[in-house]
Amino acid sequence: MKLWTKLWDAVVFLLLLLGGLTMIVPFLWMVSTSLKAPGTVFDLPVQLWPSELHWENYSRVLTTVPFGRWYLNSLILALGLTLLNLTSGAMAGYAFARFRFRGQALLFLLFLATLMIPVHVLIIPLFILMRNLGWVDTYYALILPGLFDAFAIFLMRQHFLQLPRELEEAAIVDGATPWQIYWKVALPLAAPALATLGTFTFLAGWNSFLWPLIVTNSLEMRPLTVGLAVFQGQFSTEWTVLMAGLTLGTLPPILVFLLAQRYFIQGLTLGSLKG
Amino acid sequence: MRAYFRFPILFLLPSLAGFLAFNLGPILVSFLLSFVSYDGLEPLTLKTLREHWVGLANYHRLLEDPSFHRAFWNTFLYVGVAVPLEILLALLLALGLNRPWRGVRILRTLYLLPTVTSVVAVGLLWRWVLNPTVGPVNLFLRYLGQQLEGLWHRFGAEAPSWVVWLAREGPGWLADPGWALWGVILASVWAGVGLRMLIFLAGLQNINREYLEAASLDGASSFQRFLYVVLPLLSPTLFLNTLLAMIGGFQVFGLVYTMTGGGPLDSTNVLMLYLYRKAFGTFPFEMGYASAIAWVLFLLLFTLTYLQWVLRRRWVLEEA
Repeated sequence: MKLWTKLWDAVVFLLLLLGGLTMIVPFLWMVSTSLKAPGTVFDLPVQLWPSELHWENYSRVLTTVPFGRWYLNSLILALGLTLLNLTSGAMAGYAFARFRFRGQALLFLLFLATLMIPVHVLIIPLFILMRNLGWVDTYYALILPGLFDAFAIFLMRQHFLQLPRELEEAAIVDGATPWQIYWKVALPLAAPALATLGTFTFLAGWNSFLWPLIVTNSLEMRPLTVGLAVFQGQFSTEWTVLMAGLTLGTLPPILVFLLAQRYFIQGLTLGSLKG
Repeated sequence: MRAYFRFPILFLLPSLAGFLAFNLGPILVSFLLSFVSYDGLEPLTLKTLREHWVGLANYHRLLEDPSFHRAFWNTFLYVGVAVPLEILLALLLALGLNRPWRGVRILRTLYLLPTVTSVVAVGLLWRWVLNPTVGPVNLFLRYLGQQLEGLWHRFGAEAPSWVVWLAREGPGWLADPGWALWGVILASVWAGVGLRMLIFLAGLQNINREYLEAASLDGASSFQRFLYVVLPLLSPTLFLNTLLAMIGGFQVFGLVYTMTGGGPLDSTNVLMLYLYRKAFGTFPFEMGYASAIAWVLFLLLFTLTYLQWVLRRRWVLEEA
């Protein structure tokens, strides 16, 4: 009996390992291709790893397309979105956690209901709005529609509700205004929730595609995702260069994920279990 | 009595402004647009809306548009295959990864890597991975085919044609209309299974261990424990996870855009891609018609969510 359990465990472990390999093989294939000599990728039998490393693919991707600019745009988009989201989400979350006002429950419900609205219903009128404002092809259009985010508000509200009230009550006694209490007392205590939301939003921003695709049209304003997707034709015969670009583009989200894994996983599970 | 603040206007102002300008407003406009024929060129005013009002014509057109029908069925096929596959694999993975083994965290991290990678990167990468001649998928399939062929030869028989085909050629994936959607599904399951696994894992860790221990004491085998204890207690998670996967699946866009662009021969055209093309892709833009597509898709998702809630009542075990 004992032996069978051990054998079964071994089989399960082997299968999990095999699955795990399936997860990284495409990534390894990407890195390996990015280091091959341009003309050799279709040679048979296939080289699993290049015998000679061709780093020039990486310098080529920087010169064939405005890769550096795209990278910068993605960074501005992801960081801008994160900053905006944390600011407005934490403020509104605090309002719902620590204020009592008329229509509070209704407003909260209304906000939460937007989680049901898929983004595709919004994009056409949003694009028209951006065009009317003259914001198409600017950072405003890329970032500002993230001003309202029901998930952020919900997450921050939950966190503020869990905070002990004593510190804030002490501050009230000392005559602090609500804003001072929020800024000096409550917000610093919300650092873990901010980290969760921040990691989550940064990754969502870096990886976003549909909206940036619609709202940018010049070569200089594309974020990395859109740039690579739209100009993949430029690399049509140059898989090595495209894979070098993908490797560079995949690095930031994977680094952020590895560094802030705990926060990211919290955000994901919370978002899907309660959202 | 606890002191609460009043007058939260300052705190709510940013979100409220964003809500009105970028959510509520656009929803209303989108609904109106679906009854209008609008090419997106002239400024959108009430006058434009009135002059180009076509009533239900956009919706009628949907009924007779073969490209829309194609996109509709492709989307259903995609969701119908990818979601059950993803959920099943994710559940098995979660059960395996829920063990207190050393190094199990590293394995979990591996499965999550595609989750944090953008769909664009996944799509472009998988175009390369699915390359019929030098991609690793077909390299593996060819190797498999050759081994099978060898096996047949060892017994002195001629290998059947599908084995020969696998050994010499293999699927043409994205270039072949018959295979293209399957290629997209493969990539999407690879990319999505980690997130589903994570949600199952959270659900499994919420299960009170005492139930399992009690079942063990009563002599239940591990399979019985899974069937009669774990599965019922996991059913809320299972429902939610499936629902989320379906909602995401019906809106698949980036993966198809980068992998096939809807081709070859419309074989991977899906609803979101069709919507995008109508509104922004091909001139003249048909933003009214695209809005009608958006609302049909919304109605679909809404019905789905509603159905899940009805079914939930009957199937899900709620812990008091």
